Amino acid sequence: MSAENGQSMIRLEGVSKWFGDFQALKGVDLGVERREVVVVCGPSGSGKSTMIRCINRLEKHDRGRIVVDGIELSDDLRNIQEVRREVGMVFQQFNLFPHLTVLENVTLAPRQVRRWNKAKAKEKAMEHLHRVRIPEQAHKYPLQLSGGQQQRVAIARALAMEPKIMLFDEPTSALDPEMIKEVLDVIAELAESGMTMIVVTHEMGFARAVANRMVFMADGEIVEVGTPEHFFENPQEERTKQFLAQIL
Amino acid sequence: MATRIDTLEPVPAPERPPERRLSPREWARENLVGTPFDTVLTIVFALVVAWLVYRLGKFVLVDARWEIIERNITNLMVSRFPRDELWRVWAALLVLAPSLGFGAGSAAAARRREVAEGRAAAPPERASALRRAGPGLLLAAVLLWFAQSLQATFLTLVVGILGAGGYLLGRRLSLAGTRAALVVLAGIVVAYGLVTAFGGVGWEDWGGFMLTVFLAVGGILLAFPFGVLLALGRRSSLPAVRAVCVAYIELFRGVPLIAVLFMGAFMIGFLLPEGVDRPSLVTRALIALVLFTAAYVAEIVRGGLQGVPAGQVEAAQALGLSPVRITTRIVLPQALRNVIPGLVGQFISLFKDTSLVAIIGLTELLNVSRNITAQPDFLAQGLIVETLVFAAFVYWTGAYWMSRESQRLERRLGLGER
Amino acid sequence: MLRLVGQAVFLAAVAALLLFLLDNVVYNLRRLGIPTGFDYLDQSAGFAIPESDFRSSQSLLDALLVGVENTAKVSLLGIALATVLGVAVGVARLSTNWLVRRAAAAYVEAFRNVPVLIIIIFLWLGVFLRLPPIGRAVEILDVVVLSNRGLVVAWFDKTGSGAAFGVVALVGLLLAAAVWVWRTRRFDRTGQPHRRVLWACGVLLAVLAAGFFATGRPWTVATPERGALATTGGFRLSPEYAALLLGLTLYTASHIAEIVRGSILGVPRGQSEAANAVGLSGIQRLRHVVLPQAFRISIPPVANQYLNLVKNSSLGVAVSYYEVTKITQVSISQRAPAVQAILLLMGIYLVFSLSIAFVTNLVNRRLALRER
Repeated sequence: MSAENGQSMIRLEGVSKWFGDFQALKGVDLGVERREVVVVCGPSGSGKSTMIRCINRLEKHDRGRIVVDGIELSDDLRNIQEVRREVGMVFQQFNLFPHLTVLENVTLAPRQVRRWNKAKAKEKAMEHLHRVRIPEQAHKYPLQLSGGQQQRVAIARALAMEPKIMLFDEPTSALDPEMIKEVLDVIAELAESGMTMIVVTHEMGFARAVANRMVFMADGEIVEVGTPEHFFENPQEERTKQFLAQIL
Repeated sequence: MATRIDTLEPVPAPERPPERRLSPREWARENLVGTPFDTVLTIVFALVVAWLVYRLGKFVLVDARWEIIERNITNLMVSRFPRDELWRVWAALLVLAPSLGFGAGSAAAARRREVAEGRAAAPPERASALRRAGPGLLLAAVLLWFAQSLQATFLTLVVGILGAGGYLLGRRLSLAGTRAALVVLAGIVVAYGLVTAFGGVGWEDWGGFMLTVFLAVGGILLAFPFGVLLALGRRSSLPAVRAVCVAYIELFRGVPLIAVLFMGAFMIGFLLPEGVDRPSLVTRALIALVLFTAAYVAEIVRGGLQGVPAGQVEAAQALGLSPVRITTRIVLPQALRNVIPGLVGQFISLFKDTSLVAIIGLTELLNVSRNITAQPDFLAQGLIVETLVFAAFVYWTGAYWMSRESQRLERRLGLGER
Repeated sequence: MLRLVGQAVFLAAVAALLLFLLDNVVYNLRRLGIPTGFDYLDQSAGFAIPESDFRSSQSLLDALLVGVENTAKVSLLGIALATVLGVAVGVARLSTNWLVRRAAAAYVEAFRNVPVLIIIIFLWLGVFLRLPPIGRAVEILDVVVLSNRGLVVAWFDKTGSGAAFGVVALVGLLLAAAVWVWRTRRFDRTGQPHRRVLWACGVLLAVLAAGFFATGRPWTVATPERGALATTGGFRLSPEYAALLLGLTLYTASHIAEIVRGSILGVPRGQSEAANAVGLSGIQRLRHVVLPQAFRISIPPVANQYLNLVKNSSLGVAVSYYEVTKITQVSISQRAPAVQAILLLMGIYLVFSLSIAFVTNLVNRRLALRER
């Protein structure tokens, strides 16, 4: 099932998506290589979130093709499950399961989906909790934690399935300013470790430091793609310039 | 090597969304026979539903002997109300319809104003007037079918036209809330006067569906102010007031309505000092309904009060308003707007619950339905099925209609979804 | 200071009103020669209670106790049945199958908008009492006999000693529990699916079946035998009880169905998305993420419906089912003092209501989400 050497981990070809009569994605083409970190930015409503939500089928695309690690997303439920196991996702609103402890949140999917035994699931979970630097909170409930801690638990939960790809949907937008750094640090470490990632974010300093490639979206289209240097120093498109002028 | 896209192609022109219209066959596959389990479910349910529809249809159209309803339609509507005073009821309806229509029209106009000024969201969907009035029209049609009277049909048409006229007028004039409410209230008072005043018929002689509606409307109108006071009392900062209100609310919410009605029927006489005459049974039932409903209204209003942000009170305090002013000018207006759907729900409950007064012997709709099966012409023929189905239908259309309108209102106010 | 005076005045006013009413009651009762205390409860009832061993020479207090028992009988079974039906209909409301969804919606709209009293009376007068007389009773597979004397269902009949079988049943339960623990441990150790419910039930059934034959068949199934005037054998529900039970069940289930549907829809969408994103299957998502949270949302409103069902069981009075309200009504007509009888009746329901509220609060507190 794994991708051939050199083939893109994620490939989007002409992906379009409608909500009613509103077209959220207008024929998006994008390829992401193994170990590549792609940061997506753009004004709100530009289709960034919709795009990455299509990659693990939280939204169904209407036109075009999406291939993840050699598996094409179709209506076949087995393909969807296969892709979701390989793709971890972190949400803006954390979406931790409030009725389970932190440890249970992290071990639920490995135990139910990967069929690991309890000891292994727990051991791995603690590893990931160490990695996001909150092992001591393992037996608390999510709502007893701060936003930054919750988001780090959410990262650990996604990592627990040992995915090949991580998607981040505005992971710091719902956080108080003083907590943003602790989450970004964890994501940056993850990027250094060689994880293939797509990060939707407005944190431009972070993007500059971490991204291999920048993608700028507006009105459901990819307007500009380039290396961070190129993108920040010398943007080509008028819409990119405008956006950068507003945000920087 | 897969094609990697680094340069962007020219922006594709916006396409049309893919057609999602399904052929009947695809629709059936998606909604009825997707999996083997689905198929079995569909077959089982289709058989059961078909059988039920067949039985119900056969009963209503073929088997049922509706003569008992036809001959007693006046009985079912007003029961013991003197027949030669019936014109008063029609006159009251002719006054009520335009004033209630006027109120509804004013409310619609007010909503339009709010939408236009951007103070409220536009209605999510527009239902056709015919669809919205559907259950009411159905009820009127069925009643007239049983009445088989030209005069009643004509009068009902006039009532309907006057109601619609009132609605249009209300929308055109677009009066402020309190003034529109005054018009409605005036309509109700005049209608009541038309029935009772100048040698008219007091409510102790009302009956049938008329009594049902009277008890429900009178009950909620009288329970409302009482309930608001209880709710304010329950949120009072004075412990003694709070304790008394809590005790009252929990007591009446903890016992069944029929126990309260027994209290009204059998106990009220003992509570009065000597020399004071016991009020009529209708009055006592009404008192019981009000005492009972007030406790529920209080809890609904309390919910609304809690929904007013604390910042509102703080802002008013910062402006130096007195506590009474804060309550009446700032808190209550906001809270009451939010409790309208809850109050409508309570009214629907009360409308259905008025059937319980049959147990203490009032001749409202349900009791009439039972009594007429004992008439010599219809005795011991098992016609209770026909009469109860009729009564259930009347209640159903009323309650269903109101609950549908209340859901619309809830969506409009943006409540219930969070 | 002003606050204190205000409260004192308010309390004095309330107390004065209550005293005024009490004074009137006592005065009126004395004037009419009606006893003022609760001694009347020791008098003989003067009426018999159908479907019970109660004799008319027993005291009114005993009659009320029978009434409380009958209220509990119809309420508890009604709560159980309404919960099962309500959950089924509520889930059906969310089915992907169009027909199932619409049928469930039609059920809910039909029963929610009709007075429960009409449903109960209709079932009593229009259905159960109109069943054919005993001579032409409807028999379904020898298991159910329907006649206007009531509904008789085949039931277990004791033939031998139940003690030995009781021991077997206990052993079966222990074994099932052991298997449950074993499957859970195995799941923890290996990660293989535990299917502990299936295993435990299987073991229990197997032990019960084996024990049943080993102990010499201590029970037989008594099918109802139709006699000339009555049926013998089996478990009999009177038309009154059946009508009240079924009416309360159908009505309350329509309300519970809406609560169940609302609770499932009330679990935030992000929860389902997160469950999907970590790769849980549809059933796992329901079992581990959606249902536990929906269950918690539904507890207070469902408990409220249980409370309503208990209170609505008072409508037994309209179909002559002898629960507390009917007993109170009959005793008032038999010259028991109305004021005391009604106060007692309200007191009994208050005890019912407060105990349900108490249990709900306990459960709620245990299940509350832990927050900071």
